Amino acid sequence: MDDEQVMLDVRAGDVGKLELLFDRHHRALFRYFLHLTANRAVSEDLVQEVFFRILKYRHTYQPGTRFCAWMFQVGRHVHVDHAVRHKAEVAMPERGWDVGSGELPPDRQAQNRQETALLRRALAAMPPEKREVIVMSRFLDLKYEEIASVLKCETGAVKVRVYRALRELSDRFFALCGERAS
Amino acid sequence: MICERVRERIPECLTGSLDHAARESLLAHLETCPACRAELADLNAVWRGLGSLPEPEPDPAMRGRFLEVLEAYQAGRASGPGRQVMNLPHKWQAGLAFALLLVGVCLGRYVAEPRGASPDVARLQGQVESLRQLVTLSLLQEQSPSSRLRGVTYSYQMAQPDAQVEQALLYAVNHDSNVNVRLSAVDALEKYAANPRIRRALADAVPVQDSPLVQIALVDLLVQLNDKEAAPALRKLAQDAQADNQVRQHAAWAIQRMEVSQ
Repeated sequence: MDDEQVMLDVRAGDVGKLELLFDRHHRALFRYFLHLTANRAVSEDLVQEVFFRILKYRHTYQPGTRFCAWMFQVGRHVHVDHAVRHKAEVAMPERGWDVGSGELPPDRQAQNRQETALLRRALAAMPPEKREVIVMSRFLDLKYEEIASVLKCETGAVKVRVYRALRELSDRFFALCGERAS
Repeated sequence: MICERVRERIPECLTGSLDHAARESLLAHLETCPACRAELADLNAVWRGLGSLPEPEPDPAMRGRFLEVLEAYQAGRASGPGRQVMNLPHKWQAGLAFALLLVGVCLGRYVAEPRGASPDVARLQGQVESLRQLVTLSLLQEQSPSSRLRGVTYSYQMAQPDAQVEQALLYAVNHDSNVNVRLSAVDALEKYAANPRIRRALADAVPVQDSPLVQIALVDLLVQLNDKEAAPALRKLAQDAQADNQVRQHAAWAIQRMEVSQ
């Protein structure tokens, strides 16, 4: 059964089926919040809050709306509320998520770890609205139409935003690589 | 201009979501444009790097916590807000149990004795009501949002509107740091909305809220109350360019509803 049908059942009162949607999407939501807040505990709380609001406001879900897009709209509101309460954006920690390097030689593993750390640092330094479109397009695999629906803008605007955000990330990353090399 | 349009499509090219014709057109441009080729190489390195960032997993206990909330919600729906007393701290449960026991004893005496003992019953019922008020106010002042939520839910059990609880709920709507507490407080204030002062306070709370969801909940309540005096504030909100788009649309819808019901 697809997400939209499950959500319609939840909306009709079969709220137990929300468990199914939680199982399918809580990881993606968690990663979305983790990229925005850099805090595991906060991200887990925000995921809970999203599903609480979906439960409470299930009647506002409109048939024909992609569930993922609607869920991330709720997620954005939850994050905005959180950000208002905790004014300063938190920087992404440099350490914390170890990269599995498999069978690579030690020097290559060390280089990979270094590049990953620099990329994460560059991503953390991005303005939140640019980081958000990268997270949506790269980590959540949302289509441009879906991102447009979440951000309430035209698909063409999303293309431009993703390109500009990626361009800025690239500039920041190579600048950090240059600093490290020199 | 051509380069700019081509570059905007690079992310789509990297995800493989370009259709055949667009991809061919982009590749043809790259063959003749070294600057765009360099751009693609840079962005490709970053895009691939993003793909190799580890994907952290949430704590598995999170699922259990969600299921607890879901089960509690289902149980609450099945039995109504009265069940919430089971979530109270033990000291309050004990206090309530004692007060209810006293009411039971008194009711027994009321049945057994000639008419005229009713002032005792009324006094004890008043004590139970006071205890409920005390529990509600205490929970609303707790640090934990879940305790404050219980406080809001507990306010439903009060037989009569109470000025102090009313003020505490209004304070929660306007100042609580947790959106869920604010939303629940909005719901709870419906019981007090016969009072024009409360309706005013609810209307005044709409523009100052920073959460679109709370704003929408407040607008819904004003529509439900058919509070015509709130119409000017809603009209202003519907035209406020700073307000959230959904909130503006909702305010416009609310005005229409109120006009239709006139």
